[in-house]
Amino acid sequence: MRLNNYWLLVAPLLLLVMALYAWPVINILWLSVTEPQAGLQNYEKLFASSSLARILWTTLRVCLLTTFGAVLAGYLVAYMMAHLASGERSWMLTFVLVSFWVSVLVRAFAWLTLLGRNGLLNGALISSGLTDEPITFVRNELGVLIGMIHYMIPYAVLPLLANMQGLDGRVMSASRSLGAGPLVTFRRIYLPLTMPGIFAASILVFVISLGFYVTPAILGGGRVLMAAEYISVQVLVTLQWGTASMLATLMLGGVLALMFTLSRFMKLSEVFGAKA
Amino acid sequence: MQDKNFFKELLTKSAEDFKAGRMDRRDFLGLCAVAGVATYAVSIGDAQAAADEIVFWNWGGDAVKCHTDSFGSPFSTDSGLGFKVDTSGPLQGKVKEMVDSGNITADVADADAFDAIALGKSGHLEAIDYSVVDKKKVLEGFAWDHGFSAIFYGYGFMYDSEKFGDNPPSTWADFFDTNKFAGKRSLYKWANGAIEGALLADGVAKADLYPCDVDRAISKIQSIKDDSIYWGSGAEASQMIIDGEVTMGMVWINRAKAVEADTKGRFKLVMNEAIAMPGAYIVPKGNPAGRENVMKFLASCQTPERQINMLSCHGMTPANPEAFAMIPDDLKRFAVTSAENIDKVVFNDPAWWAENGGDTLNRYLDAIG
Amino acid sequence: MPDPASSDGLTLKGLSKRFGSFEAVTDVCLDVRRGEFLTLLGPSGSGKTSLLMMIAGFLDPSDGDIALDGQSIIRLPAEKRNFGMVFQGYALFPHMSVWQNIAYPLEVRKQPRAQIQSRVQEMLDLVQLTEFSDRLPRQLSGGQQQRVALARALSFNPQILLLDEPLGALDKKLRTDVQEQLKDLHRRVGATFIYVTHDQEEALSMSDRVVIMNHGKVVQVGAPNDLYERPETVFAANFLGKSNFLRGSVTAANGQTLSCVVAGADVHHRCNGAAPGVGELVTLALRPEKIDVAPLGDAPLSNGLQGTVSSLTYYGSNFTVTTEVAGFGSVTAEVGAWRNPHRFETGQTVDLSWQEDATVLVSEGTES
Ligand SMILES: Nc1ncnc2c1ncn2[C@@H]1O[C@H](COP(=O)(O)OP(=O)(O)O)[C@@H](O)[C@H]1O
Ligand SMILES: [Mg+2]
Repeated sequence: MRLNNYWLLVAPLLLLVMALYAWPVINILWLSVTEPQAGLQNYEKLFASSSLARILWTTLRVCLLTTFGAVLAGYLVAYMMAHLASGERSWMLTFVLVSFWVSVLVRAFAWLTLLGRNGLLNGALISSGLTDEPITFVRNELGVLIGMIHYMIPYAVLPLLANMQGLDGRVMSASRSLGAGPLVTFRRIYLPLTMPGIFAASILVFVISLGFYVTPAILGGGRVLMAAEYISVQVLVTLQWGTASMLATLMLGGVLALMFTLSRFMKLSEVFGAKA
Repeated sequence: MQDKNFFKELLTKSAEDFKAGRMDRRDFLGLCAVAGVATYAVSIGDAQAAADEIVFWNWGGDAVKCHTDSFGSPFSTDSGLGFKVDTSGPLQGKVKEMVDSGNITADVADADAFDAIALGKSGHLEAIDYSVVDKKKVLEGFAWDHGFSAIFYGYGFMYDSEKFGDNPPSTWADFFDTNKFAGKRSLYKWANGAIEGALLADGVAKADLYPCDVDRAISKIQSIKDDSIYWGSGAEASQMIIDGEVTMGMVWINRAKAVEADTKGRFKLVMNEAIAMPGAYIVPKGNPAGRENVMKFLASCQTPERQINMLSCHGMTPANPEAFAMIPDDLKRFAVTSAENIDKVVFNDPAWWAENGGDTLNRYLDAIG
Repeated sequence: MPDPASSDGLTLKGLSKRFGSFEAVTDVCLDVRRGEFLTLLGPSGSGKTSLLMMIAGFLDPSDGDIALDGQSIIRLPAEKRNFGMVFQGYALFPHMSVWQNIAYPLEVRKQPRAQIQSRVQEMLDLVQLTEFSDRLPRQLSGGQQQRVALARALSFNPQILLLDEPLGALDKKLRTDVQEQLKDLHRRVGATFIYVTHDQEEALSMSDRVVIMNHGKVVQVGAPNDLYERPETVFAANFLGKSNFLRGSVTAANGQTLSCVVAGADVHHRCNGAAPGVGELVTLALRPEKIDVAPLGDAPLSNGLQGTVSSLTYYGSNFTVTTEVAGFGSVTAEVGAWRNPHRFETGQTVDLSWQEDATVLVSEGTES
């Protein structure tokens, strides 16, 4: 009974938020089966056009690799931060947070300067005689991955750090006292206990990666076309809103399906740090 | 990037609703507070339209200053109307969205001719009043029902004169010949110009370009795919050349002068077979300043001196034949419609692009990916 | 050459630990005998955990050495020391079942499957948790978790078991039960137990020997009854049980019997060791239960003071009488409640008396 009263209090806001979220989603769903005419022809394109399948596959591949790379790197950073003195940790946290404010565009161009054909790294490699020809780090999928992983690391760090800081250090000491060396302790105790953080970071990074647009466009040299950019082209340039909303619906569905599958293996509230 | 923009977009949408009277002030401010965003951070576009000013919708960058200095300020002086620039980029989809939403915030958009035709057909544009705008002040064939050209721009290519100085490339056939001219190429990612360049390279005569044989163009483009990278913005195109990523690169002609300067003359522009693109000034249906005001403004953009200013400032070539002879000597080389270039270039056919642009772009994107 | 007398068991030699400029443990020297139940007792912050962590190998000592059977183990990492440890809060592996927790030390030692199976079963029987073997730690009560921690720490037969306030999280009633069980376990497994607590009753009831710590230093070491009967400092007398402290100057020394003047009255004390000289200021500790309280008598007291009852507190088995002694302060006495012949009321003046050997000469030990 008590609960009901509280729900009443937040109901207006809840309704507003639901309307603001639900309305665009319904709108997109609706467009995907009505543009340009009613029917499922937009979804049929998925099977008819190898190009759509390829874009989706590129998107999936790049996002999965990005997730893997960013979570791996984020894990190392978070681990380091979790084991620093709190003063140093807050410094590092500041750096991590500051990086959120550097625009994607600036970062993408910074990578070009660093890794381009005549960039700093290739310059160093050639002048040191390690290679004769510049190595193609950017303007391809590798470049997209470098840029996206770099961008996503802070997103991976935060949930991982929260997870790691919540761990009881005595549990790891207990493992040592029971005869397990550092590696065994990591594999059998630390890693399993940071699994919720890894899941949270992975979901976060993966879902955000799906929306990436600027980084692939610049660092991919125009050859790594991902769903988000394709959707925006369909909306803004070719005016094929049906195709665009079909892809958007598909991606939304994919994310929801992912969350649902995960929720069957673990409590999502736990993954996202809420204490049940 | 999407994520950061999410709240802004949500709020922008709400801001539109608020303006359109679908949401009251208190809800809107409450939502802003929830999102932790100050109200001033949220506005639609960069400018708010009113009846006593012209809002010019362009692509930002140098164009803001150039459009203001060349067209906006002189017009304000003459007419007493204000002039503002919205830099959010009038892509077809945005124009359509704006008009469909009933919340029109721009009076003129700096668009392409094929946009004028496509959006005119779908009913999103005001018709041009040719009793105010003078058809004779537009190069023959570049005035349509819902837009006209005040300027031309175009696609040419630049080459590395240190590599190919002795026997410089001069045609699209040379551009596509990576055996004879080694090195990487850069092309425009949104298909325009690249399709025409590929067809010319493959031996199609200028006169037979349209309707484009897209299959043929794409297979030509794919033949150098491994040596190609693609750019989406003019800045990127310049960057690819200045950074030495390519030995030949497609560029927007209006940027070529700056690139030549930046590379100290190492990269040179080829104007032969350049694809001239008719720009089009279009008016979103129901524009806030009213049809009469905006037509007066459009007519003022036909003034030869003002078009020449635009050329000096932004490299956009005049479309008014009266201005052709006024092109300064040092800019003749870069001007699509100068006497030395006008017969070498190929004029884009906006009617074909208006009809086939979307499908062509999708096929092109698929082919280069 | 290691000293042969102390080469058996665990030896701490001048062990210190500094955190920055703060010294948490100062110069601790201690011999822990094989198989004994040794308790580190001290108030919170006195350095008990730090000392235990140095023994376990989780903290590097700033100074000093730790030797096991004459061999320094200071370079040995925690996992090589083979000491069982029960942590404050138990530190069970939350993602492993009871069975898996107990099997863990055996698995990391790569013992054969069958052996692990039977050993885990044995440990489960020992701590009576067989039916809970599939549960996760969070599905157990505090007492059960504590037993899992014990079983886990003992499953690999460590020579030494370190326990850091293992009963801290349990309620009082359960605590007494578990104390019994622990004591019993100690007898059965025969390992050395080094037990940390801040609870004096726990220390007294369980230990073979108690080490009283304060401000990182060892204050006194001894068997519980030794420490209770013969505290050497005000701190020890007060931390272990309660005491009244009589301060006065020595007026006469008569063999082993001292006379002092406390609040104008003559007090006699039988010394155990060297007696202080006449004129010295001394502090005598006097346990409340050693004071006889009686209504004001006619005869002058041979060894005692007169006080006015200021409060009476009833505890069931006994009650305490707090009195105000003029010119001295308050003195607390403890009186058995069962058939006590006297009834006292506040405001009443009473005789407080005790035997000459009831008092203990203690040092003030201003810092420890
Ligand atoms: N890692 C540490 N850094 C700084 N000070 C510490 C650290 N660990 C313990 N201390 C300090 O050392 C003192 C003794 O702590 P501890 O050994 O935990 O005492 P106890 O277990 O007797 O309560 C305390 O004052 C504590 O604040
Ligand atoms: Mg402690």
